[in-house]
Amino acid sequence: MNTAMTKEELARILDQALQDVTEQTAGVCLHQGDQPPGEDLCTVHITFDKGFSTSLTLCADTSLLARMARNSFHEEMVTPEDLEEFSKEYLNVLCGKVTGAMYQSTQIPAHFGQPVFYHGRYEPEGQEVQFVLTYSDEQSKGAQLIHHVPCPGGDEGIPNES
Amino acid sequence: MSRRIMVVDDSRLVRVQLEDALKGTDYEIAAYCRSGEEAVEQYASVQPDLVTMDIIMQGMDGLDAAEIILKNNPEARIVMVSSLAYEDTFDRAKAIGTRGFVDKPFHQGQLLKVFEEALS
Repeated sequence: MNTAMTKEELARILDQALQDVTEQTAGVCLHQGDQPPGEDLCTVHITFDKGFSTSLTLCADTSLLARMARNSFHEEMVTPEDLEEFSKEYLNVLCGKVTGAMYQSTQIPAHFGQPVFYHGRYEPEGQEVQFVLTYSDEQSKGAQLIHHVPCPGGDEGIPNES
Repeated sequence: MSRRIMVVDDSRLVRVQLEDALKGTDYEIAAYCRSGEEAVEQYASVQPDLVTMDIIMQGMDGLDAAEIILKNNPEARIVMVSSLAYEDTFDRAKAIGTRGFVDKPFHQGQLLKVFEEALS
């Protein structure tokens, strides 16, 4: 996300934040694995600013996000609007945790914009995947947290080390 | 006698988490506000014992709202509840006169400890 942090360190922070926030907000345990989301998935995307020009994308099986939303909102059923609201707020909280951990490590404050929700898969333009963390829950539903960086030769962004 | 909390946060997720954390405690949620403007407007009529204030919200942010509430009501007890856990944010919150800071996502124990300190 910035030159003061290696890819491995950032991946460790993202992994820890995702597992903590998911368990704390939704009561769901996600474990790293190799089960990507299936065809029926949703994506929520957020961009980091203040010159970093990187972004985080969470792709997850719709049924996994719906279960998390039901648990979090204490509802037996969730509407598509609930699903979108939950997904955006969840990524907001996750990014708050991530930027807090980054700040502890680098003393560089990072800021992020408003999350955007999509049905299906979304890939940000002008950015390439730096790394992907893949998770599954105990019901074998999958999620991926994808860190994007600007494509080489782009006008914006700070290239990562490593 | 329960202590009345005014929750200022535009996140439904956080509101539900606060309700969960305060269940079975001496705290009751007296009012919800979804923006800084609403908090400033509602404070005098709600007269809460404590305010929990998010920072990033649409319109007026939580730090500005806390500053206005404290200017008009110096006795107000406000705790910031935010993921913006940076030193400059802590410093400004403290300078304004808020009584504590809780990181999101929070645990019940951490939340209640900060509330008790803010009300002591």
